[in-house]
Amino acid sequence: MAEMWITMGPQHPMTHGLWTLRVKVDGEVVTDTEPELGYIHRGVEKISESRDFTQITPYCDRLCYASAMTWAQSYIYAAEDLLEVEVPERAEYIRLIAVEMQRIASHLMWLGAYCPDVGNLTVFVYCLRDRELFLDLLQELGGSRMHYNFPRIGGVKRDLPIGFAQRARAKINIFIDRMKEYEQMLDESTIFLVRTQDVGYTKPEEMIQWGVTGPNIRAGGVDYDIRTAHPYSVYDELDWEPAVESPSIKGADCYDRYRVRMEEMRQSCAMILEALDRLPGGTDTHHEPYDPMILSKAPSRAPEGSSGFHRFEDSRGESLFHIVGGGEGRGKMPYRMSIRSPMFITIPYVAKVMIGHKVADIPAIMGSFDPCIGETDR
Amino acid sequence: MVTCVSSESSESAVQAFVDAANKRFAGTGTESFLEHHTGGHHKRPFARLHIPPRHLLAVMKWMKFDQNIDHCSMITGIHWPEGGDKKCWEVVYHLLRTPIRNPPQVTKTHCAPMRIQIDALAPEQTPLEIEVVVILPPGDPKVDSVQQLWIGADWNEKETWDLVGIEFQGHKNMHRVLLPNDSPKGYHPLQKQHKLRYHEFNEMYDDPQGFGRKTIDADRIK
Repeated sequence: MAEMWITMGPQHPMTHGLWTLRVKVDGEVVTDTEPELGYIHRGVEKISESRDFTQITPYCDRLCYASAMTWAQSYIYAAEDLLEVEVPERAEYIRLIAVEMQRIASHLMWLGAYCPDVGNLTVFVYCLRDRELFLDLLQELGGSRMHYNFPRIGGVKRDLPIGFAQRARAKINIFIDRMKEYEQMLDESTIFLVRTQDVGYTKPEEMIQWGVTGPNIRAGGVDYDIRTAHPYSVYDELDWEPAVESPSIKGADCYDRYRVRMEEMRQSCAMILEALDRLPGGTDTHHEPYDPMILSKAPSRAPEGSSGFHRFEDSRGESLFHIVGGGEGRGKMPYRMSIRSPMFITIPYVAKVMIGHKVADIPAIMGSFDPCIGETDR
Repeated sequence: MVTCVSSESSESAVQAFVDAANKRFAGTGTESFLEHHTGGHHKRPFARLHIPPRHLLAVMKWMKFDQNIDHCSMITGIHWPEGGDKKCWEVVYHLLRTPIRNPPQVTKTHCAPMRIQIDALAPEQTPLEIEVVVILPPGDPKVDSVQQLWIGADWNEKETWDLVGIEFQGHKNMHRVLLPNDSPKGYHPLQKQHKLRYHEFNEMYDDPQGFGRKTIDADRIK
């Protein structure tokens, strides 16, 4: 049969965003693919060159609409590396709680978007319902539902509100129970298993050669996490274990990638509960904004020639900001800021993984890697 | 308590790498240093290498095949138009050594999840952060491609060419990724001659809506 190119996207349920996947098909079988990105390129890196270090945080919030807190914090850590700022320990714990909540919310958004792709619409509604629990908690911290602008260079904007710990514990306990419901709904759904098992095999060594990181690589059975390999924040003081799946000998399939994210949500829940217990100063005290317990002083200028970078375990993989100081306004703005987006590197790999599969498997494979185009196009 | 790579073991791993690099490439102009992150809770060490462009590929090959550096995180370019003859372009590579191996097979169909004793790895396996800096002279920036070493470098190089205009020699299938395919030749927005609309502080107040501005082709349109 003659081969032909099909264009999936930019508006297609498979894409989870705005991009195009050109697929070469031979009958029903995919023989070649070519991703086309850049539909929502906003030029964040260029914009940052004319904003001072505080003004950049909201732009980084908007890099990924499903995982704003992790991206803002990813930037903040790199900026702290550049400006040589010490962070109070209480602020580090508050940040950790916020990031892990965002990770759960992001994974729930992923699960909610993935299940309709493979024919299970019910879980979508359940996931968005439970995402609200965490969005409400994050709203208490940052003041808005999606883009929080919460971390500051040297600490956080606000302390935990009074009663936050109590509400967070109650909601997390509800959520841990509800995760059993999801697993019952998905692990016993024949359609879900047929669509995800034995589809889209990936091997860890191949993935790292292509630059894929994060939950996708841990699904391949490898215990590698930036939080333990290059510890930052206070992750090394808590009791947790990176979520690792046991894959088949051909590698990790879509089902393993679903399992690893479920496990990661459990680990995040445990981390938040423990961090609330260990919070220095206790959860009953409340510090006003700009209190040195939650925000240390930071310089507003970086000298020319200085640079800073930081690796961060985003909910989709390894994100990295490289910031060079000494820009406009005598160093008030960065001279250059570059962003490593995990999905920008992953999407070309996923496009190659689906070669040899049927056209109907494309949404199942693509969705299982959790693409987010906001951060991809930047 | 979760097991993490201790700062002593990563310190010794970085030191071993830096010593090996300095010994192997003595006399070529390649310099490597042990540096520390300066912010946050942990001051973790990392290795920084300055490599002359003509030795880049040799050093990168040595890192990939002898030193087990298996992950190319990011490639980025910086334009210094006022840097003079010494430093006009800078290409920065962020590399990573990860202890990632395919997990062993335990049953006929499944592998065991591989729990790495991440704090008890040999120095040549310990996770390691590396920053490679290559400084290029004025003129058209050209540097050897490392696409053949890490497949992950492929799209990083595409992006760096697309946005900054660094040409990677030997890169196969170079094309625009973030900008439209029909962008003008030689247009790379992160070069410093391209200004944002409200780049000047005063301009923002004198003409906040930008009505006084003329587009590039204003005189050609009737």
